[in-house]
Amino acid sequence: MTKFDLNDDNVVVIIGSGAGGGTLANELAQKGVKSVVLEAGKRFDLSDIENDEWAMFQKISWLDKRYSGGGWHGAVNHPTLPAWIVKGYGGSTIHWAGVALRFKDFEFKTRSTYGEIDGANVEDWPIDLAEMTPWYEKAELKMGVTGRTTGMPHLPWNNGFRVLAEGCRRTGRSDYRSGPMAINSVERDGRPACQQIGFCMQGCAIGAKWSTMYTELPRAEDTGNCEVRTDAMVLRIEHDDAGKVNAVVYADSEGNQHRQKARVVCVAGNSIESPRMLLNSASAMFPDGLANSSGQVGKNYMNHTTGGVYAVLPEKVHMHRGTSVAGIVGDEVYHDASRGFSGGYYLEFLSLGLPFMAAFLEPGNTGWGRSVAGALENYDRMSGVWVLGEDLAQERNAITLHGSETDQYGLPVPVVSKTPHNNDYEMTAHMYETSAQIYEAVGATDVYELPAYPATHNMGTNRMHADPAKGVVNAYGQTHDIDNLFVSDGSQFTSSAACNPTLTIVALAIRQAEYIAQEMNAQNI
Amino acid sequence: MTIRFHRRGKEKGGSAAMNRRMFLMTTTLAGVTTNAMLGSASFASSAVLDEAQGASLLRMIQDIYPHPDVLQVSHYEAIAATVMKNAEADAATASGLTDGLARIDAKAQELFGTPYTGIEDPDAREGLLRHFQDEGFFQGVRWTAYFGIYDNKEVWPLFGYEGSSVEHGGYIDRGFSDITFVPEGPTLEERMADVQA
Repeated sequence: MTKFDLNDDNVVVIIGSGAGGGTLANELAQKGVKSVVLEAGKRFDLSDIENDEWAMFQKISWLDKRYSGGGWHGAVNHPTLPAWIVKGYGGSTIHWAGVALRFKDFEFKTRSTYGEIDGANVEDWPIDLAEMTPWYEKAELKMGVTGRTTGMPHLPWNNGFRVLAEGCRRTGRSDYRSGPMAINSVERDGRPACQQIGFCMQGCAIGAKWSTMYTELPRAEDTGNCEVRTDAMVLRIEHDDAGKVNAVVYADSEGNQHRQKARVVCVAGNSIESPRMLLNSASAMFPDGLANSSGQVGKNYMNHTTGGVYAVLPEKVHMHRGTSVAGIVGDEVYHDASRGFSGGYYLEFLSLGLPFMAAFLEPGNTGWGRSVAGALENYDRMSGVWVLGEDLAQERNAITLHGSETDQYGLPVPVVSKTPHNNDYEMTAHMYETSAQIYEAVGATDVYELPAYPATHNMGTNRMHADPAKGVVNAYGQTHDIDNLFVSDGSQFTSSAACNPTLTIVALAIRQAEYIAQEMNAQNI
Repeated sequence: MTIRFHRRGKEKGGSAAMNRRMFLMTTTLAGVTTNAMLGSASFASSAVLDEAQGASLLRMIQDIYPHPDVLQVSHYEAIAATVMKNAEADAATASGLTDGLARIDAKAQELFGTPYTGIEDPDAREGLLRHFQDEGFFQGVRWTAYFGIYDNKEVWPLFGYEGSSVEHGGYIDRGFSDITFVPEGPTLEERMADVQA
């Protein structure tokens, strides 16, 4: 396995190995660009994957100290778990369910489409769908997304989705299907077809679902152009007297510090760790943190406007059999101000195992008693959806550093603040009502509303904007302030759209790799 | 306070089952649990709780997740034994538990003129416990009960949950799409046509 010298100042240092960092590493490696990937977590492989919700939560989650703040229920019910993401080789691509949706055109242009919204900080991206379409196609081919780009059929429908789909049909809907999913429906690219195992969110035990853990990262390493160092927690990014970044300091599993020199640094640690690194790297030249002349680093944290809806059907469903997100309803993804909110939302079938159903049906201290127990006795007759819609950027929703408390690495603990906007309340009410109507059309006897889970979709906090005063990075994820410092994950999103972010993160990483290689060749960075 | 129903469903044919469940909860088990538990060696030998407190703990666990039609008293006794074992291993946990159970009884005396286990109405018992639900001892018992029931592979089949499937080759040949009360999904040919149109 290739090893680069700590003093090799010709490497690109990529921080994070998930959808953004892992993809970028492989794309650069295939082009001959040398990189060192620093991954805070352990090295995982397929043998680590178990069909067990809590066992996998304990094994792969990012459980380092962090706090939930703001006015969302999670500040009370999930006070130390604002986000449920992965710390390890492959990042959150181990945990994701495989939904691979593209943004709609208007979702890149939210300011132009919605206008100014009180209390929100909505802006347009500096790129649009036409620009992104070829990159989406490259991402779909790379990941193996069912649908027209690859020609792979969408997956067969499982029981839980069949119930949802029939409710959609009976309520006059038409945009419901079992894809696009980055899950093989046939053998492809050296990976097997889906066996309807379930537990997609706990990691696919056979590798049918795309994850950087067994695609991008090993392929990057195999070229000899990429070294992935696991158990490498980045403490700070350093710069030279000219203000260019030139090294990354990290701690290994024993707490020993190392300093890897770098020609280019790409930050891809998810929307909490990425701004946290930039803020922690404040210096005399950059007193507010790196790349933060706009003051927008850490701001505009978005996840999704979300909730769960579980319906009790007249007969057994066994929703746990088969893919976790077995189908997607797209009928509600449009903007119509007369609905009382801006943006749209998806309904995605989502099965939960009994342990998680019992934990999330009513999270927090009150989630016990006769009503909860009675509902759980209907477990095998349930079908349900995860509803997710656009979350508007707000400055007050932010990643900040705790004033006094530090974590095991000695870094200030991040505080993740989220307070819903009125738009969220209006949209959520609409989501719940729509979902209930769909399930009642197939005979649901009870419908339960679940509040948002700890966020797996994290976006914003280093957002893209054409104007350096309003955003952190340009259209290529390059920071406005420092030419050789890039943001390569979902933190560069300007808006959250309604869809799951992974496909867009991957598409942006492929595009960014092309740009970085070109700029390095031209000696611009 | 309780689970959020979107609209509470109409009780049609299901009301008979619900009535039976309510009947069991309010009568049979209320009597069975307290009486059957007395004299149980595992509780009598606890170094932390006396017999009356052991009875309160068992009643409390049943009130936290009442499943009289699904679980046996032995399932709840196993959870109570785990709570006691944890208390024996940690003095702070033990004093929190004994103090908490004493305060539940005191509150029961104040409101109903009887110890907690003497309250026959399950709603009244749940309402009483709600006073204590934000306290550490209560959540300790609650999460022990949670893991003992909903994360217990031996209990899962009683709820119709089948758990790990990878060792059985997934559900692809084991009923992932076998229900009959809604139409089948599209065939492979239809799904192929959908992506090639």
